[in-house]
Amino acid sequence: MRVMRRIALAAALTAMTAGAATAATRIDFFFPVPVDGALAKEMQNLVARFNQENPDIEVTAAYTGTYDETDIKTRAAIKAGKPPAVALMSANFITQYHIDDLVEAFDPLVRAEGKAPEEFMDGFWPALVGNARVDGGIYGVPFQNSTPLLYYNVDAFKEAGLDPDRPPVTWADWLEDARKLTRREGDKTTRYGIMLPGTYDILGWTMSALTLSNGGQYYNPDWGGEIYYDKPSTVGALTFVDDLVHKFKVMPEGTIQTPAMNNAFFGGQVAMIVSSTGSLSFIRQNMKVPFKVAFIPRNVRNAVPIGGASLIIPKGNSKERQEAAWKLVKWLTSPTVSGGWSRFTGYFAPVKAAYELPEMKDFIDKNPDAKVALEQLAFAKPWFATYNTVAVRKALEDEVQAMLSGKKTPAEAAKAAQANADALLKPYVDATALNLPK
Amino acid sequence: MRIAFPPTSRRALPLLAVACLCGLALVWSTPLWWMLVACVRTIPYGSTQAASLVPDLHPTAEHFVDAFAQGDFARWYLNTLIVTLGILMVQLVTITLAGYAFARMEFRGRNLLFYLFLLQLTLAPPILIVPNTLMIVRLGLYDSLPGVMAPYFASAFGVFLMRQTFKTIPRDFEEAAILDGANFAQMIRLVLVPLARPGLIAFSIVSLTSHWNEFLWPLMVTDSPDKMVLTVGLTSFVRSAEQAADWGLVAAATLLVAGPLLIAFALFQRQFVNSFLFTGIK
Amino acid sequence: MAQALADAAIVGPRPERLIEARRTRGFVSAHAAFWLLAPSLFLLFLFTYVPILEALMQAVSLEGFGGKFSGYGFGNFQRLFADASFWKALSNNLVYGLGTVAPSIALAVLIAVALQDATRLNAFLRTVIVFPVVLPLVAVATLFAFVLMPGVGLLDYHLAKLGISGTNWLGNPDTALYAIIGLSIWKNAGYYMLFVLAGLQGIAPELHEAAKLDGAGAFTRFLRITLPLLKPTLAFILVIAMINVVTQIDHVIVLTGGGPSDSTNILLNYIFQAAHQQGDSGRAAAATVISVAALLSLSVASLKTLERGMHYES
Repeated sequence: MRVMRRIALAAALTAMTAGAATAATRIDFFFPVPVDGALAKEMQNLVARFNQENPDIEVTAAYTGTYDETDIKTRAAIKAGKPPAVALMSANFITQYHIDDLVEAFDPLVRAEGKAPEEFMDGFWPALVGNARVDGGIYGVPFQNSTPLLYYNVDAFKEAGLDPDRPPVTWADWLEDARKLTRREGDKTTRYGIMLPGTYDILGWTMSALTLSNGGQYYNPDWGGEIYYDKPSTVGALTFVDDLVHKFKVMPEGTIQTPAMNNAFFGGQVAMIVSSTGSLSFIRQNMKVPFKVAFIPRNVRNAVPIGGASLIIPKGNSKERQEAAWKLVKWLTSPTVSGGWSRFTGYFAPVKAAYELPEMKDFIDKNPDAKVALEQLAFAKPWFATYNTVAVRKALEDEVQAMLSGKKTPAEAAKAAQANADALLKPYVDATALNLPK
Repeated sequence: MRIAFPPTSRRALPLLAVACLCGLALVWSTPLWWMLVACVRTIPYGSTQAASLVPDLHPTAEHFVDAFAQGDFARWYLNTLIVTLGILMVQLVTITLAGYAFARMEFRGRNLLFYLFLLQLTLAPPILIVPNTLMIVRLGLYDSLPGVMAPYFASAFGVFLMRQTFKTIPRDFEEAAILDGANFAQMIRLVLVPLARPGLIAFSIVSLTSHWNEFLWPLMVTDSPDKMVLTVGLTSFVRSAEQAADWGLVAAATLLVAGPLLIAFALFQRQFVNSFLFTGIK
Repeated sequence: MAQALADAAIVGPRPERLIEARRTRGFVSAHAAFWLLAPSLFLLFLFTYVPILEALMQAVSLEGFGGKFSGYGFGNFQRLFADASFWKALSNNLVYGLGTVAPSIALAVLIAVALQDATRLNAFLRTVIVFPVVLPLVAVATLFAFVLMPGVGLLDYHLAKLGISGTNWLGNPDTALYAIIGLSIWKNAGYYMLFVLAGLQGIAPELHEAAKLDGAGAFTRFLRITLPLLKPTLAFILVIAMINVVTQIDHVIVLTGGGPSDSTNILLNYIFQAAHQQGDSGRAAAATVISVAALLSLSVASLKTLERGMHYES
């Protein structure tokens, strides 16, 4: 009986609190955290804090897997008529969301506060604006951003007679260092000079980094119908990678999965890797031997793409939910929260003001690697984003993977990738640039 | 059948065969053994000894602590239980009724209907994942546990199985029950269901196992954290793009997900095996 | 409903009632049977028949840019057939099918024949072989992510002791599919073995005794007696195995996503990518229709086998 009464009481209490909560706007927030479970937990903590500070809003945060899965789920939810109020979306998917008319512009929300959209975007690092603004409107607000970085093992550098304070600056240095760092015993390689991640998604990003540092553009940043896979800048980047593997043998053949690459870096089986600034905290916490980071070496110029994710408000949300979503977006991108998330993850904070905070200055002083990541931002460019981005990205990735396994030459790979990508872009091209007055 | 060999090789060959089999069993059990060893061993990142199969003398519970800290296992277990048991409850009703109809009744178009049922046998829901998701959305069941369960409520396979089972039960039992004044519902409940128990149990075990292990469908139709099932939760540990997996944690999480079935299998081996034989298709 | 059920109870059993009811039986039974079948039929309608029809409709509906409907036709199929990735997925699926089904069944037969006697060692070995069957495919994939990792992974670590090292199983288009095949054999062979064991129990020992008296060796008897009598069992296993080959992709999604270079992209993963990553629901539907057609013809062709195989009660 007592038990029954207690249950009844609990039920009544729940009903009451639920009654009180109906006054609050309930919204969903989809987020991918491509690092590890601890980050998902931290995100839940952040959202709990927001809910506490904003009793009129109740946010439910849903961990939706990888960037690609979050895209699939957000689209499914929009179709289902249950769109999340906010989603943390891979920054280069936003163009496609805009083309598909699935995302709200932030401009009216910004203007309602008496600010000009330009003024709002000025608060962010300039490199991030390209992926956030599409066709003149703001469709994404940058939240966690990254660039690729060169990570290198200090002990391996010393052992190879290299100065760990002078990381490679050009591709020529890079190759030379890699050759010195590669250690062979008989026909067995016990330490490779370089590893680049080779699985879908991160491979495309890494290749675009090399193309950009080879002077190229990779894609047309102003219009989603063009990609430059068979241009000299890309072909050169592909050839460089192919040479690292097959000519100089300083990088293992085949597709390297990211966990295997990081594991090899931790274990000293590779001296240099290219990985995201988003992995900084993770590597810093788990690497037992000293490591340092540096800019991605250049052949023509210093340039890297940004990565990471921006907050979007999918279409299909009521005015009230949009307002609530906007509050959440502003809170998450406020300098304090943004800076805290940056220190926790290794992503850099997209808002410039975050770096004016004393705790952030202190952190940068103590972590010179975070400083390098920040400095490289000056050379960062937007992330490639086209119509059908994932498929277009995969068109190159499949060919590069074939090349990494010695099945295709760089020229063949580039040509095939271009042809496949063009076919994928055709519907958009036909509907826009080739849709001419008749 | 006992394999007998000609006298000359009677000793040598079986020994060789036994050795081969033991070797095979060794290969077969290594991944599971590794899982058991690794989940209680500290494996520093980058360790080259992660694959060692020698158990650590000082086992650690840290990976399980981490797993419970990072994943909402209580919720995932609960959801998985709700989904697997919920599916099973409804299935038991639908397949008993339909199985009886096909086994005992004669009506026009029976064969045609039976074949229509059988269509579903080979069409495991993953194949129809795109239109099925649409249907779930249309029914307003997206991102709900009933949405995860609904496509499995009817089971052509279960119907088929129950039809076969009922056919092995002599009609005399039913007639006797009716003569004693039982109505149809009582007859089913008190006579047929007990007699069909082996079939029902076999089906239950197969159904529970396959839905406990289901991944793609629950992944696609849910997104709220409070709707996650074990398999989906498991992948959130290991499918991240930018990290090196923490193998001790992975092993622990895998064991947590697979553990209940492994234990159940070890305990009820005979029932498991019989039910798989009885049913054939998962 | 109650009336229909009561009617159903009358139907069939007793001869005198049968005669009585003969005139109306067709009607009455159909009525009663309908109510018994209704729940299943309703659910099958929602989650099998309508989705099949929908996939068909979508496969022949053409969409212009931005998802605007632009008429009916076979354009989706044309695009599908023009897509090299589709043919690649089809041939991968074929290789995957052959590579998984034949070895797992052969292994299942060999192990079952060797382990059929009820000794303690045999029971233990059987358990070991069957354990992977109850593991979720996702969990198997997670384990194999480590097993197959180059350098420190389980396979490479132990192969290195034999002097074979550095194989990047999942990273090479030549080996990735075979790695996936190995995983599937490991997972499924035990399952098929259970059926073979049951089939073996159905073979009368006298047959072997008689053959032995005729001087037939173990191998001859295996070929002449065991194998032919296992035929229905094997046919049944073959059907299940082929269904598994088409419908299971959890391990592909977790381990490779279909790569490298599409080398592990099998049909269902292709459909998944077309629908979700490329937003091309028309092409996804066309591919779905093809795989549904394949599976249905498989089930029609094998109905008899299934019916026989369904009932291996030991």
